Amino acid sequence: MDKVILIGSPNSGKSLLFNRLTGLAQKVANFPGITVDVGVGRLQALPDVELIDFPGTYSLQAISAEEAVAVEHFERALEDPDVRYVLCLIDSTRLEKSLYFTLQVIRDCERHGKRVMVLANMIDVLDSHRLTLDAAALSAALHTPVLPLSARSGKGVDAVIRELEKSRGVAMAPPRAHLVDTPDELLRGTAHQLAHRFGPKGDVLVRTQTRLDRFFLHSFTGGISFFLIMYLLFQSIFTWAAPAMDAVEWVLGRAADAVVPLIGNQLARDFTADALFGGIGAFLVFVPQIFVLTFIIGLLEDSGYMARAALICHKPLRLFGLTGKSFIPMLSGVACAIPGIYAARAIDSPRKRLLTYMAIPLMPCSARLPVYTLLIAAFIPSGTTLGGLVGWQGLAMFGIYFFGMLCGLLVTGLVSRTSEDHYTDLPFVLELPPYRLPGLQPLLRNAWNRARHFVTKAGRIIFAVTVFVWFLGYFPNYGTDLGSSWLGYLGHIVEPLFAPLGLDWRYGVAILTSFLAREVFVGTLGTIFGIEGADENMVPLVEHIQSSDMAVGSGLALLVFFAIALQCVSTVAILARESESNSLVAKMFIGYFLFAYAAALAVYQLAGLFS
Amino acid sequence: MLSDTLWSLRAGDRCQILDYDEALAEKYRVRLMEFGFHPGEVVTCLHSPSFGAPKVYRVSNTIFSLDDEVATHVRVRLWSPDG
Repeated sequence: MDKVILIGSPNSGKSLLFNRLTGLAQKVANFPGITVDVGVGRLQALPDVELIDFPGTYSLQAISAEEAVAVEHFERALEDPDVRYVLCLIDSTRLEKSLYFTLQVIRDCERHGKRVMVLANMIDVLDSHRLTLDAAALSAALHTPVLPLSARSGKGVDAVIRELEKSRGVAMAPPRAHLVDTPDELLRGTAHQLAHRFGPKGDVLVRTQTRLDRFFLHSFTGGISFFLIMYLLFQSIFTWAAPAMDAVEWVLGRAADAVVPLIGNQLARDFTADALFGGIGAFLVFVPQIFVLTFIIGLLEDSGYMARAALICHKPLRLFGLTGKSFIPMLSGVACAIPGIYAARAIDSPRKRLLTYMAIPLMPCSARLPVYTLLIAAFIPSGTTLGGLVGWQGLAMFGIYFFGMLCGLLVTGLVSRTSEDHYTDLPFVLELPPYRLPGLQPLLRNAWNRARHFVTKAGRIIFAVTVFVWFLGYFPNYGTDLGSSWLGYLGHIVEPLFAPLGLDWRYGVAILTSFLAREVFVGTLGTIFGIEGADENMVPLVEHIQSSDMAVGSGLALLVFFAIALQCVSTVAILARESESNSLVAKMFIGYFLFAYAAALAVYQLAGLFS
Repeated sequence: MLSDTLWSLRAGDRCQILDYDEALAEKYRVRLMEFGFHPGEVVTCLHSPSFGAPKVYRVSNTIFSLDDEVATHVRVRLWSPDG
């Protein structure tokens, strides 16, 4: 099968063109470095031609391990005899930067005898500002076809297809080798000259961008707009996704109600009700959040605002080894770690991305809320201070939220200062793309793809672990008593571990089951204490805990433990997928457990001094 | 003629890049060159935000943001059209 390679600088519109040519949905965003994997698809117009989309790179001279992988793959692909053409996409509005990369690509292709077609994207933007690109003259200077097009509107794409069609089944002469031995320094100078001779004249585009930047980067208006946009993003995860999440739970509940009574066998009925529907619900409930967040983040990326937000947040986050681009993933993590981890893909520096992965699980996610609510209601007095302005319980909730965020920053600060540099860092040289009006269809398609990726990749792991934990809790007594199940047995085994925190085996079991999802802690305690529906109405469970002889220090220790421990199978599964490193996730899981345990023990001992 | 660094520019200042200092890592130097920050190029500082946040520069027809870790290592000469 004939193959065609698509390559271009980050933010040149490459993914959008790939989607237009193949009909597949690659992630599209107006933010540098968004294409992470190599995408493959067949051309819609020429189904026997395969299009390979390479990660966006600024140069064929890689400066990070990730870039080196992309360049190496590209060089190897050039040796493939089936590769007929290399499509090099450039941004016509920023020609000089694009042309330096283009010249490098042409030089490499000449060395491998491959033909290049330069696709000058964003011609619609030039048209709308009455600017022009002299494609014919540029083509003559490069000895390579230059086709102006708009990946967004589709203008000029037919010409690309026609050119590719002409080359099919024809023995192609190797390209004229005029750059083979040209060093990078000369290419840079050539790019500069070509851009000035044939590129759009004037700076109307930059002036428009600068006017908007004056507002969005201004100390006052920039700060206000940043706050409002982040508030919108946060609301989207917490509030807007909630009805859809409720709907998913409702549908699954109704489906279980309809199916379960039809099953005669008790074991099969319990398995279907708790493991099957419970397991599906455990990952399906996150889908609306992931969809909504991906949509909003896509909107910010496509519009060009994301790069500005990264700039605004960069300085304070740099103190903790992070980058401005870490802010949105971390903010997303306050609602749920899963979309936050996905959002970290936009961080181009592998080292900063790794540090962001480490910070996200410590953000106070919404699954911690029921645990915090239960423990605060049980152990913190409900009185107020400062004339009724400040409630102790509210203060405790704020404190534990703040504690989680602080832990996240301290961990990354510590790791960034002490760890060996296994991952390449990149300088904060951030291209600020032009502001653009995002297209609805790519945003929806991208959100749908991300949600589908979550269901197909992480869903299987979450489902398997859910079924396994159900199995441990159900046997050998067929679900009649959780305390005497294998899970209860495990609870007794881990009891000595939690005894120094003043916790008995029942809390050990609840901590074990909360690995499925932190909020399961509440329901498990309710089951063990024989309180029905504790996850819906916590009051009887709170009263039961208060009437027990459990020390306040144990309650506070549990709060701290849950603020730090990586007690979430979904987060673990997604971290392993996205970081492509099981060992990293294992280290994080163990490290955060030890950190959580040590902090909880310290709190318990400290509380003992005051009681 | 004043010799200074890219980081010292204020909003509205224009400069011509002279060179990079020794302390700037090679990979950073390469990336800056690819973005157009090469010796002889004229750069305009568009925004210089408060509290040491990254500054915004225009080089050719592209806008970049650089933080002090990078910009302090780029030596420049303040530029005026009359030389």
